[in-house]
Amino acid sequence: MRHLRAALARIAGFFTGHGADDDLREELQAHLDLETAENIRRGMDPDEARRQALLASGGLTVAVEAVRDQRGLPWIESVAADIRYAMRALRHSPAFTTVVVITLALGIGANTAIFSVVHGVLLKPLPHRDGDRLLYLRQSVDGPGGANVLFSVPEVRDFREGAKSLGGIAEYSPFTFTLQGVNDAVHINVGLVTGNFFAVMGLAPVLGRLTRPSDDGPGVPAVMVLTHEYWIKRFGGDSSIVGKQVRVDGKSVTVIGVVQPAPSYPDRVDVLTNMVISPHHLSALMVQNRSHRMTEMVARLAPSATMEQAMAEVAAVHARMQRDFKEAYNPGSHYRVAVIPFKEVLGERARLTLWLLMGAAAFVLIIAAANVTNLTLMRGVRREHELVVRAALGAGVRRLRRLLLVENLVLTFAGAILGVIIAMGGVGLLTSLAERYSPRANEIRLDVAALGFTLALSVAVALLLSFAASLPAEGTFAAAISAGVQRISGSLRKQRLQRGLVVAQIAVSVVLLSGAGLLTRTMIRLSDVHTGLKTEEVLTMPVPLFVLTGGFDPKADVAAKEQYDRMRREIRVLPGVIDVGVGSTMPLRSSEILFEMKAEGKPLAVGEAIPRADVRTASPEYFHAAGIPLLKGRQFYATDREGSGRVVIINQTLADKFFPGEDPLGKRIAWTGEVLKFTPFSGEWRTIVGVVGNTQDGGLDAAPRPAVFMPFAQEIAVFGGMVIRADSNVAGLVAAATRVVRRIAPTTPIENVLTVAQIKDQSVAPRRLNAALIALFGILAVIIAAVGIAGVLTFSVSTRTNEIGIRMSLGANSGMVQRMILREGGVLLVIGLVLGVVGAFFAGGVIRGLLFGVAPHDPITLIGVAVMMAAIGIGACWIPALRAARIDPAITMRAA
Amino acid sequence: MAEKLDVKQGTLALMILRTLEVLGPLHGYGVARRIEETSKNRLTLNYGTLYPALLKLEQEGFVTAEWRQSENNRRAKFYSLTAAGRKQLAREAREWHRTADLIAAFLAPRREAP
Repeated sequence: MRHLRAALARIAGFFTGHGADDDLREELQAHLDLETAENIRRGMDPDEARRQALLASGGLTVAVEAVRDQRGLPWIESVAADIRYAMRALRHSPAFTTVVVITLALGIGANTAIFSVVHGVLLKPLPHRDGDRLLYLRQSVDGPGGANVLFSVPEVRDFREGAKSLGGIAEYSPFTFTLQGVNDAVHINVGLVTGNFFAVMGLAPVLGRLTRPSDDGPGVPAVMVLTHEYWIKRFGGDSSIVGKQVRVDGKSVTVIGVVQPAPSYPDRVDVLTNMVISPHHLSALMVQNRSHRMTEMVARLAPSATMEQAMAEVAAVHARMQRDFKEAYNPGSHYRVAVIPFKEVLGERARLTLWLLMGAAAFVLIIAAANVTNLTLMRGVRREHELVVRAALGAGVRRLRRLLLVENLVLTFAGAILGVIIAMGGVGLLTSLAERYSPRANEIRLDVAALGFTLALSVAVALLLSFAASLPAEGTFAAAISAGVQRISGSLRKQRLQRGLVVAQIAVSVVLLSGAGLLTRTMIRLSDVHTGLKTEEVLTMPVPLFVLTGGFDPKADVAAKEQYDRMRREIRVLPGVIDVGVGSTMPLRSSEILFEMKAEGKPLAVGEAIPRADVRTASPEYFHAAGIPLLKGRQFYATDREGSGRVVIINQTLADKFFPGEDPLGKRIAWTGEVLKFTPFSGEWRTIVGVVGNTQDGGLDAAPRPAVFMPFAQEIAVFGGMVIRADSNVAGLVAAATRVVRRIAPTTPIENVLTVAQIKDQSVAPRRLNAALIALFGILAVIIAAVGIAGVLTFSVSTRTNEIGIRMSLGANSGMVQRMILREGGVLLVIGLVLGVVGAFFAGGVIRGLLFGVAPHDPITLIGVAVMMAAIGIGACWIPALRAARIDPAITMRAA
Repeated sequence: MAEKLDVKQGTLALMILRTLEVLGPLHGYGVARRIEETSKNRLTLNYGTLYPALLKLEQEGFVTAEWRQSENNRRAKFYSLTAAGRKQLAREAREWHRTADLIAAFLAPRREAP
């Protein structure tokens, strides 16, 4: 009580103390007057009386100070004084302050920006209720395209019944539909979901309601839930949308609600609907056939169940399925199911890249902090005289330490503020990078967590800086002062620390540079990859007229083919066009359909995975228009049509797979597998009439996939689009070609019209950004490190001026002095380079997954980086070496 | 002449409180004079010791201060004991006696032979 009261009084005194000083002075004056009067009364003469009174007082100023300390909060007051003092001191050395603040700002800024991305994309809890209990199940098989083969409805049913540790399992099937507006039509990405989807995911509506189990099955009205993002984008956040009807693929669907913002996987979706909108999803084939896998599976861990239980149960159920339904699981394909936390799946593609960037940013901060430490150490030595004087005036070591800490805090906070400004710009750039990798990119914010991280970082750096500066132990000051010294250090310990920091800077720079080198080489290798096309003057224009979900309607198919033919003929006559082809899938794009395949007279070896190939169709002009080289046999002819013999053209990869060392022409292959029954494609034997070159359909860094082309006229017109080749500037044809298509098919959305050059660039661009960012960090690191080496050596020279003077007067010439300093720097450089190369060796292994066409410890990159760093390092040593060589012994000896 | 002693913070507070109890409201000079006289001039109080102690007692609520005319018509700040101060004085005096008795017992010359 008494202490609380006293504390409150002191806090009050802290704020109101200034008026109290006058009061105090008057009180003391009164004391003095009373005592003087008393002295006079005792018989002293007035002057002597006053002198005695003053003597007894012990000094009025001292008393005022003492009372002030008692009145307010002397600690805060002196910290405020420290801050004022620190500001003044820093203003007096503007060069030092500027360099330190900018160095720290770059380091802190880079870390803040990248941390906010890492936090938003990887660390932040999911917006879903109990998001950490959400699981994603993934079925994979061996072979290309087998990383995620999804689940069939019967499989999902088995898991639902057999794995009780999964509290709820929802099905989710992404699809593309066309949303018809009043006067436009756009593609929308739709998630077809079971009624329990939102309950399992733990999502709440912001408007209306979400789907529920009563929305499952046939014969219910089609309902649609908008994602928050699409609601804003397409409907402007209009809340009257709930209850309205929209037209999707010609069908009427009721909008029932808007769901809270949440990331979706694998791709961003615009809306979610119940299954009834797609008759296919309710067909007996879909619901009953175990091989018809087109459903994603998300589950919620049952209360009290653990991840391990879920994994064990899922594995057991899956093993039982494979035993009971042998026909659906070819043993050679090695069917397996992984249970992955949903949050991890969302960050899967981004994780390696982001941690790489975070690591690089941390390295930059380490280098920056090392440099600033060196700068403060050197400044500290110059300030020692000042510190000794302050100590002589009564400042304790603790007080001096606090002064340093306050000064360093002022520095790092200035750096942090500037850094956050830099980060604000960087976050925008990084968000566009993250969008390529993560569905959570829109959750990236410079939020409290990121700023808290920045604050913690700044305080940590300030503490580091303050304790790196060595202060003598309490009590030794007095000795130093009485001995009349101006300097108390220049100690071995400090020099060793400085040198260690320089070595670390060089090593870290080498690691960063070699990372940048590897990524740059990856990017160059990637852009050098041959697409497989003979020319880049090709425009791809997907025009999907015909959608599979509506069931198979032969009349619509004929109409679509007529429309494609008209488009082809009309675009063909546009100026500059060399050829136009029609096909299901654009070149350099992987087909959306992949079937199992067999070749006549080629039984599979036991345990061999069933080969799978891309299903594609092409018109006779397609290969010429796309510039795909015909290696063997013939093109399709106009006579390869409905009713004539089934023919196919295969790519080189498939030819090598089935017919190694043989002529594939005239051989027969066929689609196979259970799933064929549900598709408009037949399992008849088809005769190979041609072989074409491989194209990079799965991206420039992917191995070519086996592909089969069927005549466009012989099969149904699924997907579909135009391939246009021009003599030059094919990009200039976009407007004219779009006009033609729009006239012929006014309700079909025309999106993703891209030239081959643009498709290539899409594949390279993310890597380019990676490489550019790491290179930026690397260059930053090298600059900071070079400044660091030069600074430390310069300082070393300046403290050794006397010694060098003596050496020179004893006969050393300037060349020898220069070599001496160069050797001093060279030793640091060599140690740093060796450590750096070792570090780079390990770092290369870590980023293996991001490399393409270059080994993780590519010797050329490592050597190149080491040579470059050595050159820069020697350059940085030369400046102080030259300065040392110019020392005039006469002058330095006299000055000493 | 007797040796001069430094006065300790805790004991100073006790002396001030006791002085105010005996003499009633008093200004800083009066308190200092009284303590010096009582100690037979073995203690001297400079302002830097006295006034922070008075302020501390005021902050703790044991004394209050107000400006008044002094005996020779000079304005001075008079300190007076509060009820809490009176209680504190009694408590501290008791403590002090107990400690003094204890120490005295320890330091007393041994009477009985071992």
